[in-house]
Amino acid sequence: MWAALSMRYGAYVLPSPAAVLAGLREIAASGELWTHTGASLYRIALGFGASLAAALLLGLAAFLSRAARGVIHDLLAILNATSVFVWIVLALIWFGLSDWAPIFTTFMITLPVLASNIVEGIESVDRRLLEMGDVYRLSGWQQFAAIVVPSTVPHLVAGLKVGFGLALKVSVVAEIFGVTSGIGYIINVSREVLATRMVFAWALVMIAIMLVTDRLVFDSLSRRLARWR
Amino acid sequence: MALKLEVSGVGKDFLIPVLDSVSFGVAPGEFLCLLGPNGCGKTTLLRILGGMELPTRGRILLDGAPLPTQLHRRIGVVFQDDRLLPWRTLRENVALVLRPLGLGRAERHARATEHLRLAGLQGFEDYYPGRVSGGMRQRAAIARALAIEPDLLLMDEPFGALDAQNRRVMQAEIRRLWQATGRTIVFVTHAIDEAVAIGTTLLILSARPARVREVIRNDEPLERAALIDKLDTMIMEEVDRQQGTPGGPR
Repeated sequence: MWAALSMRYGAYVLPSPAAVLAGLREIAASGELWTHTGASLYRIALGFGASLAAALLLGLAAFLSRAARGVIHDLLAILNATSVFVWIVLALIWFGLSDWAPIFTTFMITLPVLASNIVEGIESVDRRLLEMGDVYRLSGWQQFAAIVVPSTVPHLVAGLKVGFGLALKVSVVAEIFGVTSGIGYIINVSREVLATRMVFAWALVMIAIMLVTDRLVFDSLSRRLARWR
Repeated sequence: MALKLEVSGVGKDFLIPVLDSVSFGVAPGEFLCLLGPNGCGKTTLLRILGGMELPTRGRILLDGAPLPTQLHRRIGVVFQDDRLLPWRTLRENVALVLRPLGLGRAERHARATEHLRLAGLQGFEDYYPGRVSGGMRQRAAIARALAIEPDLLLMDEPFGALDAQNRRVMQAEIRRLWQATGRTIVFVTHAIDEAVAIGTTLLILSARPARVREVIRNDEPLERAALIDKLDTMIMEEVDRQQGTPGGPR
């Protein structure tokens, strides 16, 4: 059907599957596939990694203090309501045309997703288990490590999964501006040179990245962590 | 002989007074069963003894020193639910509560294994709680409480969630563990036959706000049937009185 529609509307609007596959082969052969994917994944790793670290700190603060929990709730609500585009523009103003725009944007967009999952996990910790910990005089640290962290892990994995998908989509948008590598950059270049088949080829690359990380990283992670179930 | 546990004038008010003024003593090695109408404050009293609630008034001495500031005395608690960590094996669950005692890793492991064996769980040490029956989980919870070698063991209707057959088995087991370890036990139950089957002393609380209605020694096996009847009458009287008093359950 894709091939038939392509015939009807022409290669600029909808390139044929064969042309897209040929495009994929070209970028794989030229090495562009690896350089741009690598550049994007590197920025995602920095932005997403920093976001995870910050989310864990917020989670710890929410566990330790009721007051902090209220502040964090409001903060996350504000972050959640802010558009991707606002962060991209601000990043360009603050950091100029550099790697930091996609990294910062990824950080700001994934932080509320990761942090609200972690905070939710911490709030859902079974009070009865914490009471057991008190009765047996486990220290605050022992309770955190033995009771709070394990009950938060399923929420964390769910947050990582959603967050990573978001990071991939958002960082690519941010790469349209100001950088000279990455999947977003090359998709924009392809559009400018009217190479629609390359836009499709890169879209397939993104889908493949998502599927592979889902299967290889997150699914096996959930399985490992849930072996007691 | 000095008392192990001395409770004097202990009371607790939530929105309504639940415990009026409760006083009693427990001798070392005694197996005390707390009985009373539902909602009279048995569990609240046990939670106060375990330091999970603070009393509104009164004083509790464990080995002559006041609770709950007493940190070098150990209190083991078996709850109505097992409260095992589902992500840890039975052995890891028992070993966890030994950490605050400052034992080394190998010693925690050995002591957890030993207490699981005493509780009849040999061979199940590496099972996760979700993989064993409710009765076995409650055995593991008892093993955990005994593993800290508690000065006082508190049990709050620990067999309430088990079926009749398992209850019988566990009643015999706790009696055996009590004889084997010589621990001092305070055991809350609403089942008269259970109290008579396992306790050395029966303490009957009155209707809410609770006071001690009666303390009965339970060391004459021949009188059991008569004793059960007598207790039944007492508790029904208190239930009637409680239904005449205002306030919701707690």
